[in-house]
Amino acid sequence: MSPKLMIWLSVILSAVAQIFLKQGLSSLQKRRAGRNPGSIILGVVREVYVWLWGMFFALATALWLLGLQKLDLSYAYPLVAFGYLLVNILSAFFFREKVDSSRWIAVAIIGVGVMLIAGS
Amino acid sequence: MQARSCLSNTLVQLSNTLMSSYPAETNVVATPVPVEASVTPNAVRALFRRWWIPFAASSLFVVSGHLLIKSGLSAVAQGMPSLSLWTRVLHCVMQGQVAAGLLLYFLGSLCWMMAVAQQEISFLYPLSSVNYVLVVFASSMFFGETVSLRRLSGVMLIVLGMVLMNRKARGPAQ
Repeated sequence: MSPKLMIWLSVILSAVAQIFLKQGLSSLQKRRAGRNPGSIILGVVREVYVWLWGMFFALATALWLLGLQKLDLSYAYPLVAFGYLLVNILSAFFFREKVDSSRWIAVAIIGVGVMLIAGS
Repeated sequence: MQARSCLSNTLVQLSNTLMSSYPAETNVVATPVPVEASVTPNAVRALFRRWWIPFAASSLFVVSGHLLIKSGLSAVAQGMPSLSLWTRVLHCVMQGQVAAGLLLYFLGSLCWMMAVAQQEISFLYPLSSVNYVLVVFASSMFFGETVSLRRLSGVMLIVLGMVLMNRKARGPAQ
């Protein structure tokens, strides 16, 4: 796997991880896990999506470290911003969150910036 | 690490869940001091009550953490193609500078959480885009990376996009 592919995969996995976390924490909230910290932590540990988040997060971190080993930091780090674009798309799709047009424009600008860096 | 926003958002969400079960502290003298509060000096706690101090600390930690990670990664022996993915990751994580960088990064996320507890995220997110600028400048300064005009304008567009993305978010809460 090329270092660039690793960085991109890492960014994508992180965005998906965010969606898992959001899903996990909202279903936790719906179940009203309780008020005291102990039962909240227990609820977090029992939630499947939280585990998925953890796995994706670990994998993303691993790929990030391996990719960054071979690439410029000034190249790889700004690519993280691609995550904003992905999270907006994914949450509009999966959670039916309302993303207004000005937000899409902003996200598109970030996308153009990331593409400029990717080709640099 | 890539997962900057991922990790810190987790912490924010978790802390919101946890903190909502505690009432706000009103009178420090009258109420008995909690165990964890007596460990932290009051002066430090007062310092972190000003949102921009944890925010600046978070930027400092996140940027310097990433510089340490990169510098450590470059020091790790490059030619280990025979090793499996996870063994290579373990080699990286156990390198001193990488480990220190990850720790700094974690501290930065904690500071970010403290800042978010005091200010709206739509206000803090655009400000946090300064991290991208700092990382790019520091990479060219410390590692001698060539930052082309194209790369620089890409970073500027990202900053612009983040400012625009959160500008409208200040509408009525849903």
